Amino acid sequence: MISDRFKQAVLKELKLDDFDIKDETLANQVPGWDSLNHINVIVAIEKEFKVRFKSIEVLKCKNLGDLQKLVDSKISK
Amino acid sequence: MFGIDIAKVFELFKYDRHDKLFFGSSFFFFLFLGLILFLFLSKNDKRLRWALLINFSFFFYYKAIGYLPFVLLGSAIINYLFGKQLLKDTSSKVKQFWLAGGVLFNIGALGYYKYSNFFMQVAADLQHQPFEASALLIPMGISYFTFKALSYLFDIYYGSIEEHYTFSDFLLYLVFFPAVMLGPIDKARDFLPQVNKDYSMNKSQVGRGIFLISIGLIKKYVFADYLYTNLVARVLDSPERFTGVEIVLAVYAAAIQLYLDFSGYTDIGIGIACLMGFELTENFNFPYKAKSVAEFWRRWHKSLSGWLQEYLFTPLQMSMRNLKLFGNIIAIFITFVLCGIWHGASYNFLIWGALHAFFMAFSLGIKKPKEALYKAVKFDRVVKTKLWGVVQVIFTFHLILLAWVFFETPNLEAVEKVYTQIRDFFKPGVFAQFVSVYPILIFLMIAGYILCFTPRFIYDKLESIMQKLPLVVQAEILAVVIWLVTQFRFADMLPPQYFNY
Repeated sequence: MISDRFKQAVLKELKLDDFDIKDETLANQVPGWDSLNHINVIVAIEKEFKVRFKSIEVLKCKNLGDLQKLVDSKISK
Repeated sequence: MFGIDIAKVFELFKYDRHDKLFFGSSFFFFLFLGLILFLFLSKNDKRLRWALLINFSFFFYYKAIGYLPFVLLGSAIINYLFGKQLLKDTSSKVKQFWLAGGVLFNIGALGYYKYSNFFMQVAADLQHQPFEASALLIPMGISYFTFKALSYLFDIYYGSIEEHYTFSDFLLYLVFFPAVMLGPIDKARDFLPQVNKDYSMNKSQVGRGIFLISIGLIKKYVFADYLYTNLVARVLDSPERFTGVEIVLAVYAAAIQLYLDFSGYTDIGIGIACLMGFELTENFNFPYKAKSVAEFWRRWHKSLSGWLQEYLFTPLQMSMRNLKLFGNIIAIFITFVLCGIWHGASYNFLIWGALHAFFMAFSLGIKKPKEALYKAVKFDRVVKTKLWGVVQVIFTFHLILLAWVFFETPNLEAVEKVYTQIRDFFKPGVFAQFVSVYPILIFLMIAGYILCFTPRFIYDKLESIMQKLPLVVQAEILAVVIWLVTQFRFADMLPPQYFNY
């Protein structure tokens, strides 16, 4: 499930007041999250949670729920 | 009894370079009708359906090109074997090894067939040596089926495909005739699950298929071919023979002609696939309505830009994220220079890709200072208005137009001539003469631009009306469109321009 901290990190980077992010939400469904901005959002999440993703780990994520799970798995290590 | 000359019937099935098989021809539709009938009769037998589709696809390729796609077949076998290795439950290092092998094989084959001459030309130019191209046959559609094969390998590697598909399924993915030569470049994970689906067909699917085929036929054969032969190719192939006004008109015509030609042909392909129960990726979404060059690429040749984004640009972005904005800009340049030469092995295509990269990189670079400036001068409200949106659309369109000059001209000398003729021989009076002598061209240009900027809801509404019509009426509409296209066609059908790339 998408945590509030995760959601806020995304909203802050994309300068959005609010947007309903669910597990099945795709990146391109979030306003402003386009291919050029993608990397900025990933870096913002890495900074927020003080984690470092491998390229393939992010590329394997199908939706934001997968990305949240990836963050969770990194934090719990 | 009916006096049928069997030899002549056989001749029909042989390759004739004066009568190639393309989507719009009556012979194609006659054969396709037969195929649909057999597919329906074999709906409970997957193997028979597969055999029909594969054989028809190979026949279509042969009738359009004149030789059988042995390179495609070889590529299919080798890529399938790479895929088999990737599907094995092994360590990530081993998987990386097989993926790298598959990528090297595909890029190597593409490089050898498509770019050998270009690389030798670049080497000769660097040494100021004369260069004569060798006659190497480029297998038609190699850029498309290579990217599809790579999509299969990447999708397995990233875990999007876990199922072990048969070689027959994979071969059908590569050779599927509605998309074999011009795309859409469907991702393997989107197409392959459809191969094993049970055959089903409903009125709505038929309506969508007929709508797409009808629109595509009109775009390609009524608009694009006429504009290409009578204006675009005539002027831009030898711009030194024309005045500035004619060149400007040809450049404006080129933008819509390219769109209507390519999107029209792929619309027909998607429609044909739809009538056989397959859903192919949408390839265009009114690209000239884009408010930025980046948005243009989310609307133009979407299956290619989606491929490049997923399998090239995003991994590049990720690997260079420490370089921040600079890393993003390098990723844009690498992606779009490669996108340029994917379209063709020449300096013109390379510069075309680099120009698109420059536009996007520049826009990205000035984004933050621009936003700050707009805020400081209280312009940020204006940029949210519809009027500003229109300004952005017009500005973006002209950036793209500027780049199309490189795409549509045969060499760099012709590009230079385009600009010098516009600068030195621009006589506005020629415009009135042009309109009075070529009213059909002007009419087609205006109507073509209206098609490019038609609101999406009108297009969707027409499609839904078509889907609700009785099957007989749908078929009648298609028959009328085919008749109309045959009447309008003033000469031989032209292969889609993208065939050259």
